[in-house]
Amino acid sequence: MSAAGARDIAAMALRNLSRHKAKTAITAVAVAVSVSLYIFMDGWLLGMNLDSRRNIVSYEIGAAKVQAAAYFEKKDELPMHESFAGWKPLAESLERAGYAVAPRFVFSGTLYSRSGSAPLVIDAVDVGLEGRVLRYPSSLEAGRFPAPGRLELAIGSMAAEKLRVGIPSRPTPEELEELAGAARDAEEEAFVRGLYGPAPEDEAAAALEARKLALKPGASEAELARLWEILSASGRMDVRISTVIDQKAEDGSGRILHVNQLIDASVVGVINSPNPKTNGNVAFMPLDSLQDEAGLMLGGKVTELLVRRSGASDAELPGRDESAAAVREALGPALPPGLEVHGWLDYVDDYIAASRGDQVSTRIMILMLFVLSFIGIANTMLMAILERTKETGMLRALGMTDGQVVAAYMIEAACIGAMGSLAGIAIGCLINVPMVAHGLDYSAMAEQIGGDYGYRITALFRSAWNPPVIVLSGIVATALSAAAALLPSLRALRMPVTESLRFE
Amino acid sequence: MKVVETAGLSKDYSLNGITVSALRGVSLAFESGEFAAVAGPSGSGKSTFLHLVGCLDAPSAGSVSIAGTDVASLSRRELALLRRGSIGFVFQAYNLIPVLSAAENVSLPLTLLGVPAAEARERAGRALEEVGLAELGKRRPKEMSGGQQQRVAIARALVKKPALILADEPTANLDSKTGREILELMLALNRSEGTTFIFSTHDAMVMEYARRLVLLRDGLVETERTR
Ligand SMILES: Nc1ncnc2c1ncn2[C@@H]1O[C@H](COP(=O)(O)OP(=O)(O)O)[C@@H](O)[C@H]1O
Ligand SMILES: [Mg+2]
Repeated sequence: MSAAGARDIAAMALRNLSRHKAKTAITAVAVAVSVSLYIFMDGWLLGMNLDSRRNIVSYEIGAAKVQAAAYFEKKDELPMHESFAGWKPLAESLERAGYAVAPRFVFSGTLYSRSGSAPLVIDAVDVGLEGRVLRYPSSLEAGRFPAPGRLELAIGSMAAEKLRVGIPSRPTPEELEELAGAARDAEEEAFVRGLYGPAPEDEAAAALEARKLALKPGASEAELARLWEILSASGRMDVRISTVIDQKAEDGSGRILHVNQLIDASVVGVINSPNPKTNGNVAFMPLDSLQDEAGLMLGGKVTELLVRRSGASDAELPGRDESAAAVREALGPALPPGLEVHGWLDYVDDYIAASRGDQVSTRIMILMLFVLSFIGIANTMLMAILERTKETGMLRALGMTDGQVVAAYMIEAACIGAMGSLAGIAIGCLINVPMVAHGLDYSAMAEQIGGDYGYRITALFRSAWNPPVIVLSGIVATALSAAAALLPSLRALRMPVTESLRFE
Repeated sequence: MKVVETAGLSKDYSLNGITVSALRGVSLAFESGEFAAVAGPSGSGKSTFLHLVGCLDAPSAGSVSIAGTDVASLSRRELALLRRGSIGFVFQAYNLIPVLSAAENVSLPLTLLGVPAAEARERAGRALEEVGLAELGKRRPKEMSGGQQQRVAIARALVKKPALILADEPTANLDSKTGREILELMLALNRSEGTTFIFSTHDAMVMEYARRLVLLRDGLVETERTR
């Protein structure tokens, strides 16, 4: 048959669509809902994953880590005795190859403040080098980053709130009394009280319930610094770290010696970065302050070196030249036996598990939606084809081949699918525009789950555009719709033409 | 030349385990240009005979040859192409495609044959003119009377100038005046185009028009006469 003939069959199929406008519309709407939801969910997942990945690299790990093989094996237990000394030559050869390097000694302990205690992971970092690899040192909610050589801490904002150190942004009236009690004179007390007011309008309801006050949004840096100083002078920022130093015995027996240690330190800053891992039960301390008996007796040892290409953009994920293999190659013979290089993805099993789980579960959910709309179309086409049995018989009597009959019905179903897909793509994109530009604030929810659910994003879900998926979802939905007409039309063709013609 | 030839044509239907023999060995031949009626009471097998001749169903026994070709040897697709090229159908219930206009219904067989759109439109227009509906090409079937619809169906059957037009009780749904008009039209086309017509009826008035009359009873040829 000629192209013109194919066009006429398609035109006829299109006109058949208008026979049951309501049914066609409902079916197309079902497809549109599936397609738009798919586009929305996919954009959301992609956005969460992109942001998480960027935040892992920029705020948590860098591109790769150099660690002792024995440490990496048990890294979840933070085995501090598997540390290594002599990291400086390694760092120098990496710097020469264009990498930025930050050393780190990770240990765990319990942090006691005046009002409570919490188990914490403490990263002892080189204050000068840390900022070249990671961005959190400049993500301070209050205070400053610890100074080199001092027993000072910057702690995650959630730990700060729990331990009641730092400057509370939403205190209860009782807490405000406590803050005011820190004042050394009446003028200071008035100053402290003056910085707090009723919670802002939009949070009024929630605030009323919790009877919370709020730090005035207009408070200046200088005012906050003064408040910090007043609170600090009252001892609010003084903390004690209780930890156990694990060291390998000098005799080479492999025995591990445990030494209990108490370190008095003060909190000088509160971290609140886009990566929730830096805001939870973590603290950062200057590495050089822990070298001797007053600290951890480190003697120059570190548990890891963080590596990132020098001057890498935060928006970019690590490239090939930042892979573990590339870093290993840059180190060459400088990498001593027993040390390994691992890429950043080797350290975020929790994120990968959460991301995989979501990929699977949401896709299954959406797949079920697709199946439902497929059933909808199949049903619509089944009814349409059944209703037109006699007509189909006539078309076959006129000499339409089986293939042409199937094609006509599949085109008809594909048109329903295409209308639904186009509408779905339009709706999906319309939803995506604000989701990409502004994202969705979920801070209330984040507060409840403590921010720790694998993804490295805080308080804002932001979608990302995924054009191939947007186009593909429409194509797939249209193709699925067409396929939905296959079985009913084949069924109609099983009847002899005479049977079809007799059908009423 | 023999347009249609059947030999021992039989058709059994089984319905709920009971076998009904609709045709029980019908051997007939129709020459090109014939205007023949297959008559008989209801249930005598007229429709079954026309359907088998039109290759719309397969016989239980016996054979049908169209222009010398035994259709039993043809595939489904070849049968469709044979119907498309050589056979026009007119049914008691008109069976027009409701979403297509009269003109589009008439040009559909040409479209299927791959005739270019402009030519198909032109020929469909002429066919509608021949059945006296030149003005109604844009109407949809449901906007026309039964007689008008049957005229469109005839135009659709003849537009491709088939060797054979099979009409199954074409006037049964029409009043006798309209029925006569339809038969006059068929007869005129038979005369002017030489198209072979085989039509069925149980109406004595309609039988009058036939130059050859085959009378069926219980699936067998009872009598046959030619005028
Ligand atoms: N598809 C069918 N299934 C069962 N019986 C049928 C079928 N078609 C026709 N018959 C039976 O075959 C006989 C002949 O039918 P038909 O050819 O339609 O007769 P006519 O057209 O002369 O009225 C009737 O008894 C009818 O009931
Ligand atoms: Mg009949």
